[in-house]
Formats: sequence, C-alpha cells, structure tokens
Amino acid sequence: MDVHARLQDIFRDIFDSANLVIDRSTSAKDIEDWDSLSHINLIVAIEKDFKIEFALGELQDLKNVGEMMDLIKKKVEQG
Amino acid sequence: MSCYRFEDLFIGQREQFQVDVTADMMSAFLQISGDTNPLHVSGEYARLNGFRDRLVYGLLTSSFLSTLVGVYLPGQYCILQQVEAVFLAPVYIGDRLTIAGEITHISNSVRQVEITARVSNQDNKRVVKAKLKVGLLDG
Repeated sequence: MDVHARLQDIFRDIFDSANLVIDRSTSAKDIEDWDSLSHINLIVAIEKDFKIEFALGELQDLKNVGEMMDLIKKKVEQG
Repeated sequence: MSCYRFEDLFIGQREQFQVDVTADMMSAFLQISGDTNPLHVSGEYARLNGFRDRLVYGLLTSSFLSTLVGVYLPGQYCILQQVEAVFLAPVYIGDRLTIAGEITHISNSVRQVEITARVSNQDNKRVVKAKLKVGLLDG
C-alpha cells in the first residue's frame, strides 16, 4: 500500500491542485488554502479512502504529513 | 427547532418539511440578491424560452437547505460548512416543495456530518439534489 501516493491524491483533490506535491515535512504553513475547513474535509476524505477512523484528539499533535502517514499506516494495520 | 447534539446523530437519521413558494419570496430574493435576470422577473420572457412561467431562483430553492440543517437536522447546534447543489428541474411560484435530508456519514474525529438532501415538488419530481457538510457547535 503506497500511503504517500494515495494521500497525495487526496491532497490534490481537496486543494484542487493537480500538481501539488507533498512530502513528510509538508504542513499547513506550506499550502496556502489549508485552513480549518479544508482541514476537516481533508481528514474526512482520508478516513473514507483508507477506511479508518481517527479518535477525537488523535490528530491535534500531528506536526506534518509524515506523522500523518505514520498514523494512517498504524491504523490500517490495526484494522 | 431541533436541538440534536453531535452524539444524538446517527446514519440514516431523517428530517423533512414543506414550503409553498410564493411571489413574495421571489420579490424578497430579488431585493436581497439584485438578480434582475428576466428569466426570474418576466413570465413572457420565460415562456419565450420554453418555460411555462418565470423561474424561481435556484438559490432561493436552495436556501431551504439552510433551513433543513439550521432548524431541523441537526438544528440549533448546526454550523453549515459546505453545500453542493444540483438544480435538476424548474421550480415555479405556487409549487409546494418538500425538503428532506438524511445523514449519510459521520466523522467523530472532526465532529462533521454529511447530509444527502432532496427537494421535490408537489408531483414528487426531484428539483434539487444536494450534499451538505455540517459541523456541530458545543453550544
């Protein structure tokens, strides 16, 4: 499972930017339209695509896309 | 007014209500929006273009989606975040609209629900379909 590739597709869809490139260090300060509402839409899209559910409070300490990817992998493996 | 809290909501939950579209509503929408397009203002122009009378504004019909979430589902603690609406068929003054919504997705992590909504006329013809995303206030 290529989490990075799938996540990048989700980012491109949410931010409506076909050429957007994300890496482990990417965070909200790097994407101009990454505001509170797009963040909500991003999280919901990730949950649907990977068929996972984040717990309340699980997301607030994530610093960047890399930590997000690690959390996604962990939750997918947990099933 | 409904007062559903986030924890009260569930997939499949439904609410609906009815509204009769009046000429006064059209006048009020014109006053607010300034949309003087003759399709909405002139019956003659509308008939020239194949419609049986002047068309009700699509966004006037869609404004009842705001009522759906703000008053009925979830009601008081709603904060409307996103609306995607498709105008499927003309609406005319005098139509009786039924506005119905059903919760189709709940995200606990961000306290957002998705609602699939449908506006139908008195002949049960669907005139608007919409997907709404709604957050819940702590109140």
